[in-house]
Amino acid sequence: MKYNVIKKTYIWIAIALGAPALVFSPGCSKKLDENPQSVLTPAFFSTAQGFQSGLDAAYGGMRNLWGTENLFTTTCIGTDEFITGNDGTGNNINYYSSGYNPGDGKLNTLWNSCYTFINTCNGLMDNGPDIKGIDETKKNAMIAEAKFLRANYYFVLVQFWGNITLNKHFQSTPTTAAQRDSRADVYNFIIQDLKDAIAGLPASPLATGVLPGKANAAAARHILSKVYLARAGSPAAQASDYQDAYNMATGLISSSASLGLGLLTDFGSVYQEGNEMNTESLWTIQHTTNIPYNGPNNSSGTDNVLVHMWVPKYETFVLGMQRDIVNGRPYIRAIPTRWLTDTAFKDKSNDTRFNKTFQTVWYCNNAAGIPKWPSPVPAGVDPTLAGKPRFTLGDTACYMPGVNMTDAQIAATRYLLMPPRTYNIQMAPYMRKYVDTKRADMNSPSVRPVIVWTLSETYLVAAEAAYMLNKIPETVALINTIRTRAAYPNGNVANMQISAADLSLDFILDERSRELCGQMVRWWDLVRTHTAGVSNLLVRVRLHNTDGMNNIRAKDTLRPIPQSQMNSVTSGPAYGPMGDPLWN
Amino acid sequence: MKKTIALHVWAFCSALLLTCALQAQTKTIVVKGRVTGQNGELIPGVSVTVKGTSDKGVTTQPDGSFQITVPAASTLLLSYVGYIRKEVNTGNGDQNLNIQLVANKNELDQVIVIGYGTRKKSDVTGAITSISQQAIQDVPAANLSQALQGQGAGIDIQKSGGNSKPGQSPNILIRGTRSVKAGNSPLFVIDGIPFSGSINDINQDDVASVEVLKDASSTAIYGSRGANGVILVTTKRGRTNQKPTITYSTYAGVTKSLGEYPLMNGEQYLQLKKWANYLGNPGTYTSIDDPKILTKAFAPEELQGIAMGRNTDWQKLVYKNGVTTDHQLGLSGGTENTQYALGAGFYSEGGVYPGQSFTRYTLKLSVDQQLGKYVKVGLSSLNTYSTTKGENANPMGQALRASPLASPYDTTGALINSYVPGSANQVWNPLANFLPGAAVETRNRIGTFSTFYLEATLAKGLKYRFNGGAEIRSDVYGNFYARNSTNNLGVASSAANENTLSTSYTLENLLTYDKTIADKHKINFTGLYSYQSFTPQYTAFSYTGLLSDQAQYYNPALGANYQGKGTLNPWAIISYMGRVNYGYNDKYLLTLTMRSDGSSRLAPGNKYHIFPSAAVAWNVMKEPFFNNVSNVSSLRLRASYGSVGNPAIDPYQTLGSLTTQVYNYGSTVTTGLYPNSVPNPSLDWEYTSTANIGVDFGFFQNRISGSIEAYHSYTKSMIMPVTLPGTSGIPNQILTNIGKSENKGIEVHISTVNIQSRSAHGVTWTSDFNFFINRGELTQLLPSINTTLDGKPADIQNKWFVGQPIGSFYDYQRTGIWQANSKDSAAAKALGQTVTGTKSVIGQAKLADRNGNNTIDAGDQYVVGSSQPKWEGGTTQRIAYRNFDFTVVAFARVGGMISSTLFGGGFTNTLQANYNNVNVAYWTPNNPTNDWPKANSAQTNPSNLSTFGYFSGSFLKIRSLTLGYNIPAQYVNKIGMRSIRVYATARDPFILFSPYRNKYHGIDPETAGTLGVDTPANWSMVFGLNVSL
Repeated sequence: MKYNVIKKTYIWIAIALGAPALVFSPGCSKKLDENPQSVLTPAFFSTAQGFQSGLDAAYGGMRNLWGTENLFTTTCIGTDEFITGNDGTGNNINYYSSGYNPGDGKLNTLWNSCYTFINTCNGLMDNGPDIKGIDETKKNAMIAEAKFLRANYYFVLVQFWGNITLNKHFQSTPTTAAQRDSRADVYNFIIQDLKDAIAGLPASPLATGVLPGKANAAAARHILSKVYLARAGSPAAQASDYQDAYNMATGLISSSASLGLGLLTDFGSVYQEGNEMNTESLWTIQHTTNIPYNGPNNSSGTDNVLVHMWVPKYETFVLGMQRDIVNGRPYIRAIPTRWLTDTAFKDKSNDTRFNKTFQTVWYCNNAAGIPKWPSPVPAGVDPTLAGKPRFTLGDTACYMPGVNMTDAQIAATRYLLMPPRTYNIQMAPYMRKYVDTKRADMNSPSVRPVIVWTLSETYLVAAEAAYMLNKIPETVALINTIRTRAAYPNGNVANMQISAADLSLDFILDERSRELCGQMVRWWDLVRTHTAGVSNLLVRVRLHNTDGMNNIRAKDTLRPIPQSQMNSVTSGPAYGPMGDPLWN
Repeated sequence: MKKTIALHVWAFCSALLLTCALQAQTKTIVVKGRVTGQNGELIPGVSVTVKGTSDKGVTTQPDGSFQITVPAASTLLLSYVGYIRKEVNTGNGDQNLNIQLVANKNELDQVIVIGYGTRKKSDVTGAITSISQQAIQDVPAANLSQALQGQGAGIDIQKSGGNSKPGQSPNILIRGTRSVKAGNSPLFVIDGIPFSGSINDINQDDVASVEVLKDASSTAIYGSRGANGVILVTTKRGRTNQKPTITYSTYAGVTKSLGEYPLMNGEQYLQLKKWANYLGNPGTYTSIDDPKILTKAFAPEELQGIAMGRNTDWQKLVYKNGVTTDHQLGLSGGTENTQYALGAGFYSEGGVYPGQSFTRYTLKLSVDQQLGKYVKVGLSSLNTYSTTKGENANPMGQALRASPLASPYDTTGALINSYVPGSANQVWNPLANFLPGAAVETRNRIGTFSTFYLEATLAKGLKYRFNGGAEIRSDVYGNFYARNSTNNLGVASSAANENTLSTSYTLENLLTYDKTIADKHKINFTGLYSYQSFTPQYTAFSYTGLLSDQAQYYNPALGANYQGKGTLNPWAIISYMGRVNYGYNDKYLLTLTMRSDGSSRLAPGNKYHIFPSAAVAWNVMKEPFFNNVSNVSSLRLRASYGSVGNPAIDPYQTLGSLTTQVYNYGSTVTTGLYPNSVPNPSLDWEYTSTANIGVDFGFFQNRISGSIEAYHSYTKSMIMPVTLPGTSGIPNQILTNIGKSENKGIEVHISTVNIQSRSAHGVTWTSDFNFFINRGELTQLLPSINTTLDGKPADIQNKWFVGQPIGSFYDYQRTGIWQANSKDSAAAKALGQTVTGTKSVIGQAKLADRNGNNTIDAGDQYVVGSSQPKWEGGTTQRIAYRNFDFTVVAFARVGGMISSTLFGGGFTNTLQANYNNVNVAYWTPNNPTNDWPKANSAQTNPSNLSTFGYFSGSFLKIRSLTLGYNIPAQYVNKIGMRSIRVYATARDPFILFSPYRNKYHGIDPETAGTLGVDTPANWSMVFGLNVSL
């Protein structure tokens, strides 16, 4: 009897302990629902807040292009302006060698970045009409911004790759199929986007309330003129393209004053550190000293590393120098071609742009490294200097005079004297447009905004269109405007003026180099223009680019479709050549 | 005279012998003794009888001792479940014997743990490998996974990425790789409750046995989680009627690197740098001896080093000897109603790099209490606190690249806390991280894994059991690197903090019913309802530029530039399970299992699935026709088929996601969001069905016993991460159910008693062998995939090839090096290769034009090989003689390929001579080798460097060599102890038959995945002591 009581007690204990599990669990269907809190799902995109953050991301995606080594490599090197420097030799792209192939990671990154943020823009446009809680005017302005950005991404793609995939809508399901659309369709789409953007955007980057880096109609007009120009030089050319380009560019120039825009007096101040929001600057890709917002990890593919790309190995090549923030972190991905330094910039006295574009003198910043005169001293040097330091802290340690010097002159100069014949892949004139002294550290990437376009380029776009339309006096006038400014302050303006007799497409391309070298445009300028039906990329690389002159092939006027794109199209038709038989 | 004496002596001796013999016929003697296992553990309950008599004899006491009075010169017979029967001849006088019993690996009466229950081995129908406590303790390993290495067929345990650091846990694969994304790691179940922690949270000294469930029938009871096999861990518990027993064991030892990476010495590096600069700057220098090379390419410190014949061995400066210490204290005992076991452990392991160590404190408690006749409750709690230091410390990038011509110290003897001269400003002095506080990285984990059960007998044969388990872990991580450290290279100091709190609980209700009908029909039913939830919560942030290095990572307010992230990834599983076992006359056995699982991680509509399985077994021995076969001790045949699932993907994978993109408009900063993944509402389970047949056998009183398994598993609707085309605009891989894979294999276990002495002092030699073959391959991709490789469907972007194992190496075929002659130049040119200038292919990898289109392009790549071995195996050999025992554990992996970053990627074989290189006989015009590319200062890496990194991954590893000695009982007893054992073990002392190590001077070919370059593999010598009170 007693035993039964104990038994019952224990059974009750068992039930008491087991029951909570039984009771709680059967209603567990809800326990299997997922309610994410630490990740946001695409549904957030269709809220007002998500809409804004999508637009911010679409802007942020531009950091994958301007400022990165990827776009630098694909637009600056491998042209007539720049060849590979000592530390860029791992690259194959700019050599056009057999190692350059569709597997190239830089091309793949550019390709993928553009499409990722095109999809973001598409999401904004597809969701736009249904979004509640944003004022319609503001929403329309935001959609205009998204169109501006989308057009920019597509313009990069179409210039590199020709016939490409044209996504007009948001991708909400995974697909492994893709097809190529014609560049004609892509150009039409870009043009429509830009026309819409011009209609919906604030008129000028300097208009009231326009934050730095924001899309604006002036920038949209500039790029639209370039789009027409690029299409005119492509297989998709339309008869009206040059006229449209001309109208768009001259329209912007003539209205620039009313927009608060205009060429600066001094070419040198256009790229001056801290002056990126000037009246000549149409659109910038922003960076900030607030490090967490400068790039996701501060060392990634979205940093502005242009500050490093041309920095020569002064710290090892030049005695008396050590690394500092002003002279930069020696990365030396590129050095100028001899054509650029010696021919394009032949006139270094009236045309002030060479010396405002390139650093050619280094001042001693390392007392410990100062070299001593040998004993006996070279001819022409005071014999009493034997064994004494050649210069002192703060003196010139290296100078590139831009003209030839004899070996005797070099030996008798107290600092390292480098005439052009001694330029080499470690040490050559240094492109100073991107100097940044506000970086956290001398090895850190830049915190400066990247100036994408300037009004001076609008003049050159207008000039190129005018020339193609055979409007010679207009062309001369546009170019002389730029050249007059280039003489400021000490050049002889009269000597800088050109006449119709000087004019040629080659001259315009050379002028672009003088004005814009080191901007991320050159490769596109060369593939857009032709000499006797041959792409100027082929013509000029064969003439001036010692890396690629023996290797470049006709197919190099387009970039190869990335291997990963071709490989990952696993369903539907293969990602085929689509009338661009050159590469794929 | 002489003859007479001889005669007398002879007569005397004969008489004496005769007398003795007669006395032996009648004399009885007292034999005392002690029975131990092979490692000296005491065995109570052993039956000791005299052979040939019907006397019941005696059984051994809890301390393994016995005393028996027997006729002189008898033969004692010792037997105990789980051990091979042993006969011992006694002498003529009283004696005290130490007798060792040899464990019987295939004893059919042995009870083993299965999913949700235990079963006599003879009743088991599935493929289960049991690993004994002894086997686990044979190797003084850092964790349970390491201890299991080489111990069971079908269980492939390898260092993850070749990682040999303290506190690292190896990769476990059971029966090969079947999944691309859903994970291939087996499920760990400890004391019946699924375990979510790290293997390092378990103290292997607390483990009593490990059972590895391999086929579908045995794993089906774990349903959705059993696809990769299940490892059941049973911890030590007290025994009924056991006197309190205190055990203490300890070992300590020294760990040394297993070798240095094969780098160039000063002279070799000098030559490389000369060649690289000569070949990399065509036309600049007259020859490699042009003095201009010295001034242009070498740092002044290097020139000084050349002049003084300096040859800095940076590795020697970086490696040190690590110290390992282990202490384990245990107390266990039990009465009729209460059993308990307590264990406290301390383990500390220092790596061969000063910043690396792992320390673990564990406390284990288990209590089982009988409450009256019908109810039993029990509790087990495993508590761990561990500290891992330097888990990411990898000084190799510096130590392997630093110029051997440079010195780590300046002329005053002070450490150069900067770049190493002559290293292109890329290599920071690796010794800088040894400065106090320069590099600190610590992970502290504290956690408890506690299980509770209540078992109530509701009626005859009907039992209810409640299992509850709770696991709570806190993981706190911090790192700090000074500005002048190899991590920050002179840029701002940096620090990071990470915190994870994970909570998991499991609730299970089980009903079991046992019934035997007419003595012949045995029925067992198990029903289960289970709910498990796991909630890991993680936050991390990092910052730079600390105001003071002293702050380390303890106060973020002293830093700047904060960046943070976090996740909350909970998941839950609800399960219903039923299992029926039916046995007829112990001869024919049948198991049917059905489990239904619901997982939160799958999309609505796909959450629930049912996993069925069936198995049969036939105890052939029980058949009458086997009665007269004397040499066969046991024979069973088994067969099973069933299906299990695998949803081991991260939560939220079906929902799509947005990710952040920071930006600013002037001083206005923003965090944008863009879609990086799209929803996949149709995501479903991945299923694996396995057919398994097995035979268990024992011959000659189980002197030879073992099992053989053959299986074929089919995985379908594989969850695969598909890389979408760039044009899709979706950067992340998307999980999609595509494809099928198959694995088939054979597994053999054999245990033999080669020599079993009949005296207490003789030699006993036993062997265990396991051998297994697994062949896996992808058999199908989505029908929509229209790309192929060699005529079979292939997803080249994701490297999935039908007909090839998962994880195959896909690359170009290197046939040699393009030589500097007109024939090769013409041939290269014909393939579109650049043969002039800096980018010339001469001296570079010569690739085969496999697709024959007269150009080297992506279509020439092929499957070079895979890491899947031809076969693997392990063996344990034990020899005992008197009180000594000697054990060797070895395992081999033969036929797989490895991809080594040391030679085929990374930074150690660039031949650019910007920094030091592995010592390879690189190509020069004077050395027209076909093995290695040319030295070339003008390229960051030789082209197609990866093609130089494929090697045979075969090896035979001596896992441990142990020599032990059990101090004889008479001495031990005098000081009031039960047993004392001392031993010495060499851990991982040798790697044999490894081409990678022997021919190419790599260190250790063992790796799951690509073999990385990290602090080297090591070996250690430890000395240990086990004491029982």
